[in-house]
Amino acid sequence: MSSRPPVCVTGMGVVCAGANHVGELRDLLAHPVAHFQTPTVWPIKHPSGELPVAQATALEAGEVAGRPRTHRLALLAAREAVGTGPLPDAIVLGSSTGGIAATESALEAGITSPDAYRYHGLDTVALHLAETLGVCGPVITISTACSSAAVALSVAAALLRAGLARRVLSGGADSLSRLTFHGFRQLQLVAAHGCMPLDANRDGMTVGEGAGFLVLETAPDERPVLAVLSGTGLSCDAYHATSPHPEGQGAVLAMRRALADAGLEPRAISYVNLHGTGTPDNDQAEARAMKQVFADVQPALSSTKGLTGHALAAAGGIEAVISILALRDGLLPANTGLETLDTSLEISPVRAPTQAPISAVLSNSFGFGGNNACVIFEKAPSSPSPHPFPRYAGRGDLRATTGDVPPASGLPALRIAASACLTARGGLDETWNALLSRDSTAGLVPDAAFARAAPAAFVRRLKRLPRLMLALAQTVHTASGRAAPPEAIAVGTAWGPLAETQEFLRKLFESGDQFSSPMDFIGSVHNAPTGQIALLLGSQAPNLTSSAGERSFSQALLCGSLHIVSGAGSALVVAAEAFEPRLSPLFDPEGARGPLVSDGGAAFLLIPDDGDPGVRLRWLGEGGNDGAVALVDRFAGVTPDYDAVVVGIPAGHDLAKDPAYARLGQLLPSASIVAYRDRLGQHASIGATAAAIAGRAVAVGMLPFTGAPIALPHRRLLLLELGPRLAAIEVFA
Amino acid sequence: MTGQTDPLVAELARKLVETLGLDLKPEAVDPAAPLIGAGLGIDSIDTLELVVLIERDYGVKIDNRAAGVEAFASLNALAAFLRQRRPASPA
Repeated sequence: MSSRPPVCVTGMGVVCAGANHVGELRDLLAHPVAHFQTPTVWPIKHPSGELPVAQATALEAGEVAGRPRTHRLALLAAREAVGTGPLPDAIVLGSSTGGIAATESALEAGITSPDAYRYHGLDTVALHLAETLGVCGPVITISTACSSAAVALSVAAALLRAGLARRVLSGGADSLSRLTFHGFRQLQLVAAHGCMPLDANRDGMTVGEGAGFLVLETAPDERPVLAVLSGTGLSCDAYHATSPHPEGQGAVLAMRRALADAGLEPRAISYVNLHGTGTPDNDQAEARAMKQVFADVQPALSSTKGLTGHALAAAGGIEAVISILALRDGLLPANTGLETLDTSLEISPVRAPTQAPISAVLSNSFGFGGNNACVIFEKAPSSPSPHPFPRYAGRGDLRATTGDVPPASGLPALRIAASACLTARGGLDETWNALLSRDSTAGLVPDAAFARAAPAAFVRRLKRLPRLMLALAQTVHTASGRAAPPEAIAVGTAWGPLAETQEFLRKLFESGDQFSSPMDFIGSVHNAPTGQIALLLGSQAPNLTSSAGERSFSQALLCGSLHIVSGAGSALVVAAEAFEPRLSPLFDPEGARGPLVSDGGAAFLLIPDDGDPGVRLRWLGEGGNDGAVALVDRFAGVTPDYDAVVVGIPAGHDLAKDPAYARLGQLLPSASIVAYRDRLGQHASIGATAAAIAGRAVAVGMLPFTGAPIALPHRRLLLLELGPRLAAIEVFA
Repeated sequence: MTGQTDPLVAELARKLVETLGLDLKPEAVDPAAPLIGAGLGIDSIDTLELVVLIERDYGVKIDNRAAGVEAFASLNALAAFLRQRRPASPA
C-alpha cells in the first residue's frame, strides 16, 4: 500500500425507486421488493402501453415549474449526503440526462423561448447543487453514460489525492426520460416484466432513475468515517459503440486497475456489486470477466438492479451507497429478480439478503462507448466494528453561507507533444494565418476540413460532432509521431452530439413515441464521440468525458492531467462543439446567434514535462462564489510574469456583475487583458481553440488576437474562461 | 451483378443503403448474399436500425432471434419474409 492519505466517505445520500433516503434503501436491501411500474412521468402514447420502469416516488410525477427532475433528484440526495456536516469545496457529478426530460416536453409543444431550455445543459445539475450549497471550488460533470457516477467517484478521489480539494461531493443523478427509455426500447434492451439479472430468461434492463452521492475527504475531522474509497479503475473496451467485449476484456482491465489502485489481491474482495443490467450480453460478458479476475475463488456477488432498476448515470452512485451499507452492516444484498439462474454463466449470486463479515466491496459500472469503471470500498481502518449506522432524519438545512475555498492547484505543467484545432478557416495553420492577416475565424467548420479523418466505413453512421472530434484526435495522434495510442483520453463538450439528439426526438415525436433510430440514440450520449476516438486509435486507456458549459475544455484538461499525475505517459485532451440549427439557438440563445456563431474545437496530446523545449499547458483551477475571486487573487503576486491575460467572455455574460473580472481589472492594466471571442468566434469549447493558438503564440513570441499582435517577452499567457464559474489555465514556453 | 428484378427487393436495397449510410450503390447489393456479417459490414446496431425501419414501413415486427435470422438471410429472403407476414394491404 502506498502512503497516500485514504479517501474517506463521511456522508451519503440516495434516492431511487422504492427508497427516498439511505434509511429506506437499507430497509429495502433487507426486505427486497422491486417497485417497477408504468411510467407516469410522460403521457403514454404508445398503443400497447409502456414497459415497466423504476420510477422514483420522492418527486411528484410530471414536470413542475422550476428545475427538471434530474436536478431535483440530485438535490434530494446531495442534501442528505452533506447533511449538517461541513460543506464540500468541490463537486464531481455524473449525469447523462441533465434537463432532457423538460426539453422533450418543450420541444414537442413547439416552445421556441430559450427560457424553457435553460436547464437543459448537463452542467446545470451540478451548478444547481453548487449554488444551493455554496460550493467554491471545481464543479465538474462527468458524462460517460451508465458508468458516469463511478467515473465521477474516480475523478473525485484523484482531486483529493492531488490536494486540489479537501471535501468533495460526488456521485450521479439521472431522471427517466423518453430519449433514454425509448432509446433502450428500440435497442430491444428493455425487459418486458422487470429485469432479471443473471436469469436464464433475462430479457433486458428496467430503466430507472435517481441519485446517489458520497461526501469524500482525506482529512475528516467532524464526522465519523463510514468507509474508505480505496481504489478506482477505468478502461475502455475500444470494441464497439454499445456491445460489451464478448469476453469482458475491458471490464477485466477496469477491475484489475481498481484492485491495483487499492493494493488488494482479488481474494481480498468479499462482495462484488455487479453492473448486472439483465441484458443477455452484459451479464454474459460480465460473468466471463468475473471468472478471469477472480478465477476459482469467486467472492459473494449480486446485481441490485432487479431492486432499483438501472438508474443509468446515477447507478454507480446508488450502488456506491449500497456497497457501503453492505460493508457497514455486514449485509450481502440479494440478486433480486432472479428466478432461474443461468448456469452457463458459471457464477453464483447471493439469492437472499445474507449476514456475513464484509471487509472490501468492488462495484462495477459499465456504459455505452465501452466505458468501464470500478470502485472499491473498504472498512474504515479506525472505525470500531459495531459502530451504529447513522440515520439521517432530516436533510441538511439550506445555508446562506458559502464553504471553504479549495487549496491552490499543485498540478504539474504538461508538455504539448502535438496540438490541432478546427475553425471556419480550417486547421491550426489556416486559423493562425487568418489571425495574422487580422481576419476573423468565426463560423462553422467546413465539411472538407474534417472529411478525411477516418475511413468512410468507420464514419458512415456518425454525424457532425464525432466526425469533428475524430479529425482532431487523428491529427494530433499522427502529428505526435507516437505509434502507441494515448494512455488516457479526456474529452470535453458542453452540448454533446446535438444532431443525433434532434433526429432521435424528431422521429420519436413524429411516430407518436413508436419509432426512432437506435443509431441516433447510441450517438446521442455525450461520450459517444470519445468512444469513437478510442475505437479509432485502439486505446483501452481510461476514457473520460466532461460536460460543463464553457469549462468543458478546462475540465477535460484537468481529467487528463490527473491521469498523468497517476502515471499515464500521455493524455489526449479534446474539446469541441457541433452547431445544430434547431437546438443550438434554443440551448445557447446568446452564443448560437449572430455573426460570431461558430463550432469546432481543439485537441492536444500532452505528456509529462520531460524538460525538452516546447510549450507547456497547466490547469490552474476553477472557482465560483468566493472561489472565483480567490482564484484571481492567487495570480496577484505572479501577474507580472504573464505577458497577457487571455479571456473568454461567453456571449450574454454580464461583466459588470462578475466580481472575478472586477478583481482582475484591479490587478492588471487593461491593455494586458485580451478578449478573443470577437476574432476567434464563439462556442462553448472555443477556449480549447484559444489555448491551441496561445500555444503557438508563446512558441513564436507573438499573440495575434488583437488588431496589432502583442509581443510576448515572457512567453507566458494566463487563460481565463468566464461564466457561471471561473476556469484558469496557463500556457508557456 | 444485380438480379434485383423484384421491385420490393430494389426498394429494400435503396432503403438499406440510405439508412445505414453504406458506401455503395443500391443496385450493387447482391440480393442473394447474406445481409449480416458478410461484405456489407453490417453489425448489430445496423440490424436494429433495419428492425425499426421494417416495423415502421411495413408493419412487420422482428422481435426474436429466429425471425431475425430468417429475415436478414438476404434481400430476397427479407422480401419473402415481408410478403408472408405483411398485414393485408387495401390494394
